Amino acid sequence: MTSLAARYFDGQSSRVHDVAVELLDNRTLRLRGAGIERDEPLEHLRVSPRLARIARTIELADGARLLLDDHPLIDQWFPLHNPLQRWVDRLERHAHAVAASIVVCVLSGAVLFYWGVPWMSDRIAAQLPEQVETRLGEEVLAQLDRFAGLAPSSLDMERQSGLLERFAALKADMPGAENHRLLFRNAAGIGPNALALPGGTVIITDQLVSLVNDDREIDAVLAHELGHQQQHHALRQTLRSSFVIVIAAMFAGDVSSASAVVVAVPTFLLQGHYSREFESEADAFALRTLAEKGTSPAWFAQAMRTLEAFVSDQGESDDSPGYLSSHPQTRERIDEAEFAGEKFAIEHPELYRERPDYDACAEDGICEDAESEEMDSDEVYECVDDDCERVEPDASLELQ
Amino acid sequence: MTESDDFSLPLAAPPPPPPVPHWPARVQPMPLVEHEFEFSGRGDEYFRIWIVNLALTILSLGIFSAWAKVRTERYFYGNTKLVGVPFEYLAKPLPILLGRIIAVVLFSAYVLAGQFSIGLQLGLALLVAVLAPWLLVRGLMFRARYSSWRGLSFRFVPDYGESYIRFFVLFLPLLASFGLLYPWVKGKQKEFIVDHHRYGTQVFRFLARPGQFYPPYLIAWSVIFAWMFGGAMLFGFGVALLSAGSTSPPPQWIIWAFVVAIYAGYFVVLAFLAAAIANLVYNSTEVGGRRFQSRLKGGRLLWIYASNTVLILVSAGLLIPWAMVRLAQYRASCLSLLARDDFNGIEVRQGQGIDAIAAEVDGLFDIDIGL
Repeated sequence: MTSLAARYFDGQSSRVHDVAVELLDNRTLRLRGAGIERDEPLEHLRVSPRLARIARTIELADGARLLLDDHPLIDQWFPLHNPLQRWVDRLERHAHAVAASIVVCVLSGAVLFYWGVPWMSDRIAAQLPEQVETRLGEEVLAQLDRFAGLAPSSLDMERQSGLLERFAALKADMPGAENHRLLFRNAAGIGPNALALPGGTVIITDQLVSLVNDDREIDAVLAHELGHQQQHHALRQTLRSSFVIVIAAMFAGDVSSASAVVVAVPTFLLQGHYSREFESEADAFALRTLAEKGTSPAWFAQAMRTLEAFVSDQGESDDSPGYLSSHPQTRERIDEAEFAGEKFAIEHPELYRERPDYDACAEDGICEDAESEEMDSDEVYECVDDDCERVEPDASLELQ
Repeated sequence: MTESDDFSLPLAAPPPPPPVPHWPARVQPMPLVEHEFEFSGRGDEYFRIWIVNLALTILSLGIFSAWAKVRTERYFYGNTKLVGVPFEYLAKPLPILLGRIIAVVLFSAYVLAGQFSIGLQLGLALLVAVLAPWLLVRGLMFRARYSSWRGLSFRFVPDYGESYIRFFVLFLPLLASFGLLYPWVKGKQKEFIVDHHRYGTQVFRFLARPGQFYPPYLIAWSVIFAWMFGGAMLFGFGVALLSAGSTSPPPQWIIWAFVVAIYAGYFVVLAFLAAAIANLVYNSTEVGGRRFQSRLKGGRLLWIYASNTVLILVSAGLLIPWAMVRLAQYRASCLSLLARDDFNGIEVRQGQGIDAIAAEVDGLFDIDIGL
């Protein structure tokens, strides 16, 4: 019978005793060393599960223990111990099982981030009381006013009330839209833009109001923001980011101490993914709403073009990394809106005046001096700023 | 629940046969020998354990996580050796599973409470904050009890009152001093944790005064301050230079460069601070007259942290096991124990032998809440 070399500790002192261990008669383990003579029945012993190359431990009934290098004999001595961990150990040593585990983990990770996190966040968002969302929105607004350079609007009252009427008309028969409100802000730092905050607040910047050539472009933008509001995008985005942060932090833990970076990068990338999803939802909502209100959805395309022209005019030195922004999608979004516009034109031929390509002079003989209108929009180029398509790093913002 | 501390002096090498003298003659002290900690884990090996355990945890909807934790701890303990003898992690998965279930239930209760009233949620959060020092002690007791070397377990002697002072009451002066007392509080907390550990009859002692935590923190704070100040100056200068004479705003990249530079500065300072604090804690820890020696280098730690971060990011997390092994390897390679004895004469505290059974008895409170 083979005997194994082991180190024996009596559990009372830290003294090491070298012993030889062997199986006596299939029921007894015999320990022999200087001053150690013990025969122990197997059923009183407990063995630690096998794990990689680490030493095995056999616990004796009185607290003494044997420490010995891993050896196949050990599991033969205790065939019924630790069945679960014995099976796990076999998996760990099996190349196919390891490969399968990689597949399981990567797939579950993908499922978790593509469906799990959105699903969980949306369930929670649906359950949250309204006050929470409203409170969150107020918080975000206060921070924007303080840190993002939002100043009170310099639009005159008449202009503001005109736009407020358009906003009210747009949301008129949307369910639950009673408390949605429109705020005007002068934001040189943000440029022409509109934001949907959690809890129903829509902000439009003076820069956007003066950039557009036709108020129906503002309708299109506001309908898009109302789409964000109706679907609680800001809150859902906040919740999704929080989940991603929690999950990433759980795994990255202490390993890099750069947990901040390890957490921030996936959060940032996934945020882009989630926000593109929300943008298309809001776009679809805006196109539907415009058509319902008797305005051609093609105005949405028009608004996008106006913004795009502004950006490319500005953006000789536009350094935002292209693939991270939603830029490449602008084309797609415009096409989508044009398509909806054509459909609208076919379904409602009587509303031809609501189309952006409506030429009053050619079609109705109402001709006016077109130049004066163009002049207005030129002034806007002073109120410079950055790429309005860029998604703000702040989780709670949805930029149009 | 305190105990009369057993002051035992470092035991010299005992004469050949037992019994070991309780008060050894200190006539001829053995020479001081440096025993290095070794870590023999391997990234590829741990990867297999990590990925299989993660997959099983996912497939079992989290239940296997307790077994996964035990296997992970056993891997790192079992590969860490001192004087050729590995450490052992003895905890069983079930108490850990129980602890995790309680934590999940508490957390769900906290989230659900938010649905009904913010007050209830705040109440629960306060309850957890009030319980935190108690939980901390229970956690330390659990970890110590199930950490063993040479057949003897470690112990953490609970002192809840002191825990509440150091981890609860001290936050008041900390807040009142606008954080300036932070290094001192940190020192008091480390002292508490070290001083209450035992290994057999051997008592751990923390020799540093809390004030000794000031130099590393003051250096770190001033470097961060200088870095931010310099960065802000450069930023302002760059903006002024780039937008001089034109009405266009400064380009985006300069803002990004500023943010990235500030974070990189934090990262560097934190690595050096972590090394300095770990060295201070280990080098000030004595166990029965033996001293630890820790020689972590901030630059090396920074390199490991930074490259680990990159590895984890580019591999979508799959290289986490390599990152963990590298860190453990470096930490062990910098740590040693200075001793005059051969560690053979340490005994279990009188009556501690039944601790192994006691551990099973108070099983319900014997949970590892890993928060």
